[in-house]
Amino acid sequence: MKKFITIFLSIVALTIGLSSCLKDKAGEVNDEELITTLKLAFTPVTGGPTVTYLFDDPDGPGGVAPVQDIIKLNAGTTYNVQITLLNNSALPPEDITLEVIEEAIAHRFYYAPEGNTAITVTNLDNDSNGIPVGVNSTWTTGAIGNGTIKITLRHYGASPPNKELSDPVNSAKSSSDIELTFVTNLL
Amino acid sequence: MLLIATSPAFTQKCSLVLKGHIQDTDSREKLAGATVTIVELKKDIVTDSEGDFIFTGICPGNYTLRVSHVSCETKEVKISLTKDRHIDIQLPHLKNTLGAITLNSHKGTANTGFKKELSERQMDETKGLNLAEVLSRLNGVNMLQTGSTISKPIIHGLHSNRILTINNGVRQEGQQWGNEHAPEIDPFVAGKLEVVKGVDELKYGSDAIGGVILVEPKPLMSQPGSSAELNSAYFTNNRQYVFSGVFEQQLKSLPNFTYRVQGTYKRGANASTPDYRLNNTASEEKNYSLTAGWKKHQFSTELFYSFFDTKVGIFEGSHIGNIPDLENAIDSDRPDPVYTGENTYTIGRPNQDVQHYLAKSKTVIQNGKHKFTLLLATQLNYRKEFDIIRNSQSKVPQLDLGIATYSTDLNWQFNNKKRFTQQAGIAAAKQENQYAGRYFIPAYKSNTIGGFYISKWHNSVWNVEAGIRFDHKDINSNRVRQGGEIFDENHFNFNTLGSSFNAGYKITSRWKINSNIALANRAPQVNELLSNGIHHGTATFETGDINLQPERAVNISLNNSWENKKGTFGIEATLYNNSISNFIYQQPKPDEPVLTIAGAFPLLVYQQTNARLSGIDFTSRVNITKPFIWELKYSMLRGRNKDLDDWLIRMPADRLQNSFSYNFNDSKQFTGTYFSVDYAYTLKQTRVPDETNGRQDYKPAPGAYGLVNADVGTTIRIKTLPLSFSIAVRNALNTVYRDYLNNLRYFTDETGRNIQFRLKIPIKK
Repeated sequence: MKKFITIFLSIVALTIGLSSCLKDKAGEVNDEELITTLKLAFTPVTGGPTVTYLFDDPDGPGGVAPVQDIIKLNAGTTYNVQITLLNNSALPPEDITLEVIEEAIAHRFYYAPEGNTAITVTNLDNDSNGIPVGVNSTWTTGAIGNGTIKITLRHYGASPPNKELSDPVNSAKSSSDIELTFVTNLL
Repeated sequence: MLLIATSPAFTQKCSLVLKGHIQDTDSREKLAGATVTIVELKKDIVTDSEGDFIFTGICPGNYTLRVSHVSCETKEVKISLTKDRHIDIQLPHLKNTLGAITLNSHKGTANTGFKKELSERQMDETKGLNLAEVLSRLNGVNMLQTGSTISKPIIHGLHSNRILTINNGVRQEGQQWGNEHAPEIDPFVAGKLEVVKGVDELKYGSDAIGGVILVEPKPLMSQPGSSAELNSAYFTNNRQYVFSGVFEQQLKSLPNFTYRVQGTYKRGANASTPDYRLNNTASEEKNYSLTAGWKKHQFSTELFYSFFDTKVGIFEGSHIGNIPDLENAIDSDRPDPVYTGENTYTIGRPNQDVQHYLAKSKTVIQNGKHKFTLLLATQLNYRKEFDIIRNSQSKVPQLDLGIATYSTDLNWQFNNKKRFTQQAGIAAAKQENQYAGRYFIPAYKSNTIGGFYISKWHNSVWNVEAGIRFDHKDINSNRVRQGGEIFDENHFNFNTLGSSFNAGYKITSRWKINSNIALANRAPQVNELLSNGIHHGTATFETGDINLQPERAVNISLNNSWENKKGTFGIEATLYNNSISNFIYQQPKPDEPVLTIAGAFPLLVYQQTNARLSGIDFTSRVNITKPFIWELKYSMLRGRNKDLDDWLIRMPADRLQNSFSYNFNDSKQFTGTYFSVDYAYTLKQTRVPDETNGRQDYKPAPGAYGLVNADVGTTIRIKTLPLSFSIAVRNALNTVYRDYLNNLRYFTDETGRNIQFRLKIPIKK
């Protein structure tokens, strides 16, 4: 009996002391799908300084709450608008916009102004099939007032993506990577 | 039977001894509780726990021995007795019932309180299905599904880490964190599948709150020779084909050595509902196992190695970005056509790629009345999950988990008298988890050490068992950033106690009752303690709680099984009540949504409550005529969150199953021919959590549904080969339905009609 216990205990010791036969895993990579920051750059078509507004959530979902700017634009002005998407939690920060442009046939931005602000969004840039992507667009502002604009980035998960001109923002063919509502002040 | 006494009795002494041993032909298990009758003398005796019987004071002569057992066919053997004799009799497994009532039947050495076992026919009818699908044939066992490719078993409302799965004697340590993580086991390995509750749970852990699933291979061959079995199947719905083969041998020149080689290959294309085919629901599985045994006198050792490898697609249309996406999907009756209609074996994103390795050694030393068993096992489990991502060319998994478990178990068994056995054991295990990719669970190292003691006593009517177990577990967890930086370190210690008391009583030989009371404690798992992130399948943000305490369950169950004298009518009922304090569940926090770039996500927090799960499983069997059997099964479960005075989410709805089967008489060519049809009706789950306690579900539970299934099978003898053919039709009427326990019920219907062809070729030498 004593012998058995000795044998057993030494096996237990061996078990506990065993070094792992796991292949070493790299650990947490920054979520390559994570978008921490959406930047909107407004340049008046007639020239002038570029203004930028942000949605910024440096630590991703959860943790510290995101910060979101109010978009302040001049009334009665036309702007060239460029969207930049960043993953600032990665080192060095990643420019997600490039990925969206590369997979343009599977992505689409939608702009939905709401409320009293007279903003019209036109001239969205197209993918290789001639269907809007909307990384670049033209915004025309009307009279002074406050409102909101909802910016949605849809991703087509199926292959082929089957993106079509007539797809609504809530098309069952795509899912939301971004859905943000900005408050807009036209001054 | 005629008594043909050849010798005049008065010239001989009537003092002969007839001894023997009864075992199951297929499983080679010792059959305890078998009745052995010397027909001519009207003497009968019941075999003991070792399957042995002994008659004394018998006169020489020719006799007929009749051997019967509740789960086997009755067999008669003619013997001639001139001197003391030992006889071994093998009983074939019962083939002509749909589900053998094996409750408390004293089969084998383990007199378990509560046991449900798949009959041989049920095993045959489910060849090629996954483990959960096979087990759901048992009354009281349901399936938790993610689409048509991923399913896990639920026992009396509990699943995942609340159930222990024992694969060939080893506690399965895979990745059972989420609802979409299926057990990593090939059912073709199993010669026997059982669901066990009661004292025997304690051999495997103190945390079996929901019960234990035993996956047991057939014992290795005990006689020189070789045998093989080939199984193949084809399913029409998803063009799935399955091949599985096993070969085993014991060489005459080396009678101490036995080995077995087994392998399975399975591949299915996209599955189809009655109205549309679901893109990316294909699957592929490759498994094999090797067993080698050495036996000499009191010593035997067995080496077992198995590899399980599966890749399963998850329906493309189930990928959602945020709550409005989920609500849109729910509002439409069927998925968008871009996600349907492809008929291919190709698996794209999203998918899961899982491997499980098991290496085990088991050594048994029998020393008089003492038996020592030493079990050493190593398990490696790898899980890769590929999400739908922006970069369609990427081959990188988003989640990459690896878990290694090393375990040692030493058991001691002591039979001092035939009626009394004692068992004790000590167990130690070490586990390590590593990850790469997005955060889901932390890296951790854990150590478990525990011990148990069980004692069992029985006489011809009573069967009393008691046991106790204690485990200590420590977990050291941390998160690792790429490059090696370690943060968020945590240290946990848990002590858990399990105990069980079981009493069975045979009122008559055909009426048995059994009662069991068991205490189980389950330590929280790392996902419950430390998860923190978005669950993409459900558009929720889930967080763990490091202050969770072990769950404590007190489970009381009562079983009653009765059969009339002729054996033409039998009933079995199980009543249970599982009171679980500190029950861990996910509580929605509607006032604290998590703001993200894709909108607000509802927050779910792991939290504890007092819960009660109670229910009944009922089975009745009527032989309308001898070959024509009607069987009725009913299962009902109520799960309450007592603190909130509310229902628990995702509890199985009541289910009623009506089946008729007809067994044809054997002819020279055809044996075991049967036809059966059943109607399974699942009620609507109306007992769901109230929205005033936070919205947990975005779609009301689907309606009730009924499915018609049919099976026909026979065995044809071609020369010496008995070929078994069967055809099964699942969802014969192509009914459109959704099931409450399928996570993809938000998006798609269940699969439609599936005709399954099966062929089994056993080759024996």
